[in-house]
Order: sequence, then C-alpha cells, then structure tokens
Amino acid sequence: MSETSHDQAALEVVDLHKSFAEVEVIRGVSLQAHKGDVISILGASGSGKSTFLRCINLLEIPTAGEVFIAGEKIRMRNGKSGNYEPEDIHQVERLRARLGMVFQSFNLWSHMTVIENVIEAPVHVLKIPKAEAVEQGEALLKKVGIYDRKDYYPAQLSGGQQQRVAIARGLAMRPEVMLFDEPTSALDPELVGEVLKVMRDLAEEGRTMLVVTHEMSFARDVSSNVVFLHEGQIEEQGEPQQMFSNPNSDRFRQFLSRTMQ
Amino acid sequence: MDVILEYQGQLLQGTWVTIQLAIFSLMFSVGFGLLGAWAKLSKNLVAQKTAAGYTTIVRGVPDLVLILLVFFGGQELANSIGAVTGLWEYAEISQFAAGVATIGVVFGGYMTETFRGAILSIPKGQIEAGVACGMNRVLIFRRIIGPQMVRYALPGFSNNWLVQIKSTALVSVIGLQDVVYNGFVAGRSTRLLFTFMFAVLMIYLLLTAISDLALRWLDRKYSKGIVVRPDDG
Repeated sequence: MSETSHDQAALEVVDLHKSFAEVEVIRGVSLQAHKGDVISILGASGSGKSTFLRCINLLEIPTAGEVFIAGEKIRMRNGKSGNYEPEDIHQVERLRARLGMVFQSFNLWSHMTVIENVIEAPVHVLKIPKAEAVEQGEALLKKVGIYDRKDYYPAQLSGGQQQRVAIARGLAMRPEVMLFDEPTSALDPELVGEVLKVMRDLAEEGRTMLVVTHEMSFARDVSSNVVFLHEGQIEEQGEPQQMFSNPNSDRFRQFLSRTMQ
Repeated sequence: MDVILEYQGQLLQGTWVTIQLAIFSLMFSVGFGLLGAWAKLSKNLVAQKTAAGYTTIVRGVPDLVLILLVFFGGQELANSIGAVTGLWEYAEISQFAAGVATIGVVFGGYMTETFRGAILSIPKGQIEAGVACGMNRVLIFRRIIGPQMVRYALPGFSNNWLVQIKSTALVSVIGLQDVVYNGFVAGRSTRLLFTFMFAVLMIYLLLTAISDLALRWLDRKYSKGIVVRPDDG
C-alpha cells in the first residue's frame, strides 16, 4: 500500500483486528472509503460489524491495525502493559471530530434542546462562534426536516425525530465521513422511512458514509459499495447490483435469502 | 417571649455559627463526595479501595464519636507531637475547624454514594456521543456529566444536606457556641429550657425551610429536558 493512496481516501482501514478478552471479533479487515462513497456494511449479528465501525473512531481500541482519516494516520503504540493503544489522545480527539457518528440508540444529550445538541460540539470542540454554529445548525435541522422542533428536548421527540437530530448533530461537525451504527434498528417500523430518506438525501449529496445496517433496500439501492462481514472477516464485497443479483459466496447468498424473504 | 428577646443576641450569634458551620462543611462534603465518586468509578484500583475504605468507615461510625475523636484526640496528638519535636509547647485545635472537618468528611461519605449513583444514572451512550464528537474528558464532565449529575443527585443531595444541617448540632459537645449550645445555656440560666429549646427548634425549621426553597429552585433549573412522570413531580 503506497503512501499516496492514503491521501486519496477519506477513510482507510488497514488490517484491523479487535479482540475482547480471548475472543477475536474482528480478524483483519481492510477498507477504503473515497469521497462520495456510501459503503453499507452487512452481516449477521455477531459478525463484528458494529465493533468494526466503533474501532474506526476508537470508541473501541483495536488490538492491531491502522486507521487513516483523510490521509492522517491515527498513531498507535504498544503501551506499558503490552496493549495496543493510541499514542496521543489529543490527536485521537482531533480526528474523532472529523467523523460524524450516528448511534443505534440516538444518544442525544437529554438536558439540551435540539439546537443545543447540534451546536454543542461545533462550539466547544471546533470553536466555531456560537452565532455561526446556530445558523449552520438551523440549516441542518431544516435539511433533516426537524427545524420546527429546534427548542424541544429529546424526550419530547419520537425515535425517528431524535435520530434525525442525531444525524444533524453529526453533520454539524462538517465531517470527512459519517459513520452510522444501525441507525434504524431501534426504531418502530413506521419511523424507519423518515430516517432512511434523510440518509438517502445525504448519499445523493455526495456525502461519504459508512453504514452498518440491516436495511437491505438501503444497501442495494443507495450504497455504492457493500461489504459483507462474516465472523470478523470480509466474506464478500463489491457493487450492490452485482452482489445482490449474483452473490459469489454461499454465505452471502444464505444471508440474503434469510433477510429478504 | 421577653426572655427570648433578652437573649436574642446569643441566639442570633449561635445561629450564625450554625449557618457557617453548615455551609463550610457542605463545601467539604461536596468536595470529598466528588473526589470519592471519581475514585470509586475510576479504573485505578488504589483509588477504588481507598474510597471504599473511606465510605465504609465514615458511614459506619457515629458522627459524635468522630467529632470527639478529631477534637480531643487531635488535641492530644498535636500536643504529643509538640512534646516530642519540641516545636511547640501547647497547641489548640479550633472547635470550628474540627467541626467543619469532621462533618465535612462524614457527609462526604454520603455524598460519594449520592454522586456515584447519579453519574451511573447518566446513559453511557450520551458520554460516548461526546467522545465521538472529539470532546476531551474535561469537556465531557463539564458539559454532559456535570449538569445531568446535578439533576440525578438532587434528591439524595437534598436529604444529605438536611441531615447535615442538623448534624451541626453535635459540635455543641465540644463547646462550640452554636445555636444549640447558646440556647441550652440561656435556657438553663433562666430555667426556661422548654422555651429556649423550642426557639432553637423553630430556628432549625426556618433554616431547613429556606434550604428546601433553594433546593426546589435547583431542581427546576436542572430538570430541563427530563420528562416528569406523575409520581416524581
């Protein structure tokens, strides 16, 4: 892998491993996301797909492997106890701020209103002047269709509304890449559509997105690439059309037949 | 009533001592409580064990015993150290300082548990969301944990605080002239103990009522965004 390839990718992961105690959950996964890519990560539960996503912004510390964000490598070292760990937490914090993360359970800050949630990190992490952050935040709330609730608290919103706010909060970081960790899995079925629509709009806008999902229609129709994980390894990857119509691996074929009945 | 007016100077002075004692010891107990909660939740084993030992001891021993121990025991200790080193002949521990320190340390133990519980009530995902945005630990504590911790801690904190105000009465046994001490002295010398102790009772009620108002105000201020269920309004 040449150095220049790191510069081109918005995000690059090289040979990532992650173990919990004795169990190796991620067993050498590499992935590149270029600007505008929408990569869906599929897999049965327990395949390690969420863990993989959480390793990218070091919510979980990988056991081995490298992560590059816009060409900048997250510096890791082997610590005193022999654990693989970040060398410089400040660098990690700076790079985390260049990724937007959307969680399965929304994780909005419950003591802040919608607009306060959206401007919090821009003001306090990116040090954007408050007025500017509010202006930008309001524009984002309009984009995700929830501007009229900007002064509500999260507990006053439905799950779908909360998730749209969470997406706006992620976008407010002006991220290189948006990471979605099963963004519709905690939603009532009738609320899934509104969140998927927002994500579809973002994809059309050319946002770089990594989406761990169970939504097969999103993976097939919206994403530019699909990665299928099985037991912590990439079993199959490629363009959705090809993969969905003519899967190479038996496991992905089985997975499809189980999930798309 | 006239008698009370005659002794109002002593009573007011005593009340003022009680108030100062309560406020200073509150500052200590909040400080120890935060430190204790941090230690109990930290990954550092030494900190964890120290905090566990601390809360076990102070919650398992009567306040009165600790006050006597700190004041008289401390006095003896200071004098023996003076005698051995020859640095001083006689040292006196301030009753006020002994009272503040003891009550602060004791209630710090209770506050530790209150704050620890409050921090644990904050959904972990909200902290993760802060981490994912690139917030550092200080920022996460200041912006996410702190404000919500106050809210979750308030019921327990209110309880602790009311008990703490009342516990300040214990310092009268080491001769500190708080409202109880002064009321008792006045009552004995006038032989109107009931009248004076009733006055002292009313003063405590007034102090706790004012506290209650302040705590309600805090509760409103920090309840933003919390859905109030009918049973905890």
